[in-house]
Amino acid sequence: MLETNKKKIVIDPVTRIEGHAKITIDLNEAGTVDDARIHVTQYRGFEKMCEGRPYTEMPALTARTCGICPVSHVISSTKACDNLMAVRPPKAARNLRRIINLAQIIQSHALNFYHLSSPDFVYGFDASKEDRNIFKLMQTHPDMAKDGIALRAFGQKIIETLGGKRIHPTWVVPGGVSHEISNEQKQTILSQIPQAMDIAQKTLKYFLNNVSKFKKEIDSFGNFPSLFMGLVNKKGNLEHYDGFLRFVDSDGNILENGIDPTFYKDYIGEAVEKDSFLKSPYYKPYGYEKGMYRVGPLARLNVANRCGTPLADKEFDNFRNLNNGKPVLNSFYYHYARLIEIIYGIERIEELLNEEKTMSDNIRSYASINRNRGVGCSEAPRGTLFHDYEVTNDGIITGVNLIIATGNNNLAMNAGVKQVAQSFITGTDALTDGNLNRVEAVIRCFDPCLSCSTHALGIVSSQVEVRDHNKKVIDRISRG
Amino acid sequence: MRAIVGYGNTLRGEDGFGVEVIQRLQETTLADTKLIEAFQLTPELCLELLDVDEVFFVDAGFSSSYHYEFLCSLKDEQIATLSHHISPKLIMNMLKEIYKKDMNYLIFSMATNKFDTIYDQKRYKQKVETMVQYLKELSL
Repeated sequence: MLETNKKKIVIDPVTRIEGHAKITIDLNEAGTVDDARIHVTQYRGFEKMCEGRPYTEMPALTARTCGICPVSHVISSTKACDNLMAVRPPKAARNLRRIINLAQIIQSHALNFYHLSSPDFVYGFDASKEDRNIFKLMQTHPDMAKDGIALRAFGQKIIETLGGKRIHPTWVVPGGVSHEISNEQKQTILSQIPQAMDIAQKTLKYFLNNVSKFKKEIDSFGNFPSLFMGLVNKKGNLEHYDGFLRFVDSDGNILENGIDPTFYKDYIGEAVEKDSFLKSPYYKPYGYEKGMYRVGPLARLNVANRCGTPLADKEFDNFRNLNNGKPVLNSFYYHYARLIEIIYGIERIEELLNEEKTMSDNIRSYASINRNRGVGCSEAPRGTLFHDYEVTNDGIITGVNLIIATGNNNLAMNAGVKQVAQSFITGTDALTDGNLNRVEAVIRCFDPCLSCSTHALGIVSSQVEVRDHNKKVIDRISRG
Repeated sequence: MRAIVGYGNTLRGEDGFGVEVIQRLQETTLADTKLIEAFQLTPELCLELLDVDEVFFVDAGFSSSYHYEFLCSLKDEQIATLSHHISPKLIMNMLKEIYKKDMNYLIFSMATNKFDTIYDQKRYKQKVETMVQYLKELSL
């Protein structure tokens, strides 16, 4: 709901994103939008607090960065530790890590689509507060709400089955995993796949049947040229666990290919903004800010040649046809890409479970420190995640650099917020609840996990500030 | 069947009160009772509550004035989104609206103003034990 008078705007309910942020919208003298930015306002400093700890603690420590995507941190962290030990985990361990990583992606994507974003799709961006929330969705679309719970539970149960618990599992360890999968566990997961796939297909159908209603949003929600980055496998296909970095431009030209993530610093620079604790990575050869790139589901499908599984590939073709085979530039289609990745994840989990080597009891390689620097990289739900550790010969951490998935998108999120604000807020009369919801909804497209990316600690707080041409705050929308 | 759901983060301190109570209860045998511990309440919890008739939620609740007092019903508002924090009330609403499952629930909270540490180990342990005994008696 929006209550507005001359000086104050209040939006309720709270923003549907993971974490806490502030948006400023700067108006010029004519009252139209000059600039708009997202600020992440809390700081935790995981990189610093890890110094002095043994490297073996890093997977458990860095998993605490987040309660939504701890598995992603565990995966990248253990890969960095593998790198420090100079070992490659056995095939069974690599497959099991892939399975838990995909389960994490499925449950996270389901959370975004069903619980955070679906009220916008079902009721529209201009719907009143009373309608545009999960409570109303439960009443009017209980089956959709039920599907969301079931699909998220599918991913969560896999994490719990393999990792022992749903949040902060400690089963993925340097060198591999701590125990093998039993046949009973395998069959339990396989038995849940038909239902999960049915829900995923149904949801995709719903999205495709309704997406035409949002032409204005598709055209203006972060719809601009940018670079895209993601991991691809040796065939150039979609990859979430291992592989090589690839950068493509908005015309689909491959700028960089086959990059070992260990050398990420040669390609990615990190700028620090004075008004946000979220760093702004950029493609180094193009410099800051021209080197803006996007990561995450949309970027992964833009950089990959194919998905590599039958049902996902069928939809991948439709996705790529949106822009005649070139990268899809509209950030609104992050939602579409997320649904395709859910289908891919379910298919791939089934494939991996049915591989004979996955059932092997050879699940861990052992070694001590063989290198003083180790980099781990994987695809988290929101994009490419880097863990970079430096250690003493005894394995004590002396330096940490984390590039979090959401951080990679910082420049693009800012560009998206500005584009939406300029498209919809065309004067103070346009400061409607629906338009301010759109300003936030563009951020929801990227599905940022701000607690991860800044390692934020704080009270739930999201604010939109509207400032006049003298930077004086004339309206403030507080949520939470 | 009854479910007792204890939630919180034991790494923080008194925030983990609910989980500690569940871990103590797991050392005993309560008839017809399902014990569930969690870091936080999530929508999937609904699936685990479909086969029960009554739910007790156990957690730590903020109070600046009544540290270590038991409060049976704190103000229970759903102030956040379905992201990091879900209240017992929202879980029960989800069960009612989505699964047509309406049942009684109670919230047992230990009041604290020190979520991130255990302020007084002795008193805290006593409170855990008192809650354990109380829940055992309720389950008889």
